[in-house]
Amino acid sequence: MSDAITSETGLDAASRTASGHSLAILLARALFLVAFLALWQLAVAFGYADPAFVSSPEGVARALLALAGTGDLYANLITTLIEIVLSFLLSVTLGIASALILDRSDWLNRILSPFLTAFNSMPRIALGPLFILWFGIGIASKVVLATSIGYFIMLLSTLGGLKNVDRDLLLMSRLFGASELRLFRDIRLPWALPGIFAGLRLTLIYCSAGAVIGEMIAAQSGLGVLVEAFSGRFDVASVMALMLVIAFVVMTLTALMDLAERHLLRWSKGSTNVPG
Amino acid sequence: MVSAPLVADKAKGSAPVEIAVRDVAVNFGPRLRALSGVNLTIRACEFVALIGASGCGKTTLLNVMAGLVPIAAGSVNVCKTPPRAGRRDICYILARDALLPWRSVLGNVEYGLEVSGLAREERRQRALAYLDRVGLQDYRDFYPSRLSQGMRQRTSLARAFAVARSVYLMDEPFSALDSQTKLILHNQLLDLWESSGATVVFVTHDIGEAITLADRVVVLSRLGTGITDEIEIDLARPRSAEALQADPRYHDLYRRTWTSLRESMK
Repeated sequence: MSDAITSETGLDAASRTASGHSLAILLARALFLVAFLALWQLAVAFGYADPAFVSSPEGVARALLALAGTGDLYANLITTLIEIVLSFLLSVTLGIASALILDRSDWLNRILSPFLTAFNSMPRIALGPLFILWFGIGIASKVVLATSIGYFIMLLSTLGGLKNVDRDLLLMSRLFGASELRLFRDIRLPWALPGIFAGLRLTLIYCSAGAVIGEMIAAQSGLGVLVEAFSGRFDVASVMALMLVIAFVVMTLTALMDLAERHLLRWSKGSTNVPG
Repeated sequence: MVSAPLVADKAKGSAPVEIAVRDVAVNFGPRLRALSGVNLTIRACEFVALIGASGCGKTTLLNVMAGLVPIAAGSVNVCKTPPRAGRRDICYILARDALLPWRSVLGNVEYGLEVSGLAREERRQRALAYLDRVGLQDYRDFYPSRLSQGMRQRTSLARAFAVARSVYLMDEPFSALDSQTKLILHNQLLDLWESSGATVVFVTHDIGEAITLADRVVVLSRLGTGITDEIEIDLARPRSAEALQADPRYHDLYRRTWTSLRESMK
């Protein structure tokens, strides 16, 4: 029994050094950001870069404040958020459900896989104008465009996660008398969870891109409409300010997902005795 | 601790037949004959070890008793009915521990009870009692990846014996362990089995392990044509794996089994 006790102390030591590092890392990050912004600002100030093309940190900050002040931002932000959340939820539910069916049914998988690959090989962004023709310039066309990308990411990552389930775990469960439902709930799904979470993160990013790009093609409201309008006027600072807003939204949603992942996958995090 | 009478010293000859293998043949594909004409009778509460050369079909025979491998000829009955995977009176212990990495030690021991349909409170009590018996009570909240190989296999034993089934089929469960850890596991298995009253079929390639644990060691022929020898292990129970190492009768039986195993390889 002493073997596990020694390895436990080793683990504690490892986690201590990890938390010791995190403050230094935060400082280094702040330093990196400050250095980047200073370099940018100075390059513009001393005439090495043209603010008409690259704006400046100060200009972006002003644009951000102006956007926040008019209230124009919020209505558009809400539209984009609704599109992202709807397409994300659709991608996740449809993607996971299809992966489960394809994983269980080999013949269906063999029939459908060339068609799925073909559709997934198309640049969906280029289909944007067609989606708008079919589903109108409202929210629906953007949700379809974003889902057409996110769905495949979710499908493929879940399928990948469900593959190579440990045969011994399945055999052990079957021999104890487990039903197919239990095999799914207690073995296959937890086994696929790391793959599913990797897919969730990518799906969120691509759904956000799909929604904004869809809005840029044709829409009544949304951050993409604003991006398109500012780009048309060569208002670089405002376009960059909008990019920051979108990045902030996606990062917030990702952080929520990380929280869920940390809870659900705590068995796989830092669980081995060997660091690295 | 569950107190049950020791079954070892009783007259096993009169106990009812629990597992009956009659003229069994197993084919792998159209050409390869894995087993043919195998006969074996195992009585209730008996601990039988199967040994034989590598590839002699001992694991296949075990899988036949578990209902995992279809038979081409003959008949197999476990508790008077043909075996089927997932039967609620048979428990199979794999060579690998097959612990669920996402469940704690306690959760893993509870898993077998959960599948068997026990209510939450009861299965928790039972799982804790069996963790106690294999000495892992302090590790109940650990994930398997943080345990040593020996502790993982102990968790697997606790999971298996907590469900209290009447037949246990074990496929070299200790083959990955070092010899010191093996002795600890042998004592724990003997303790769990002696109070369970279960019938055990134990596949191994380790003669010492077979003699330490079993009432009877069955030697299979290299060609899969059945049993070449049976050795009654009349060592008194309860046994201690360490004490046996110094027992001259243990070494006599070892020599006798070793000779028999060598004969079977011809």
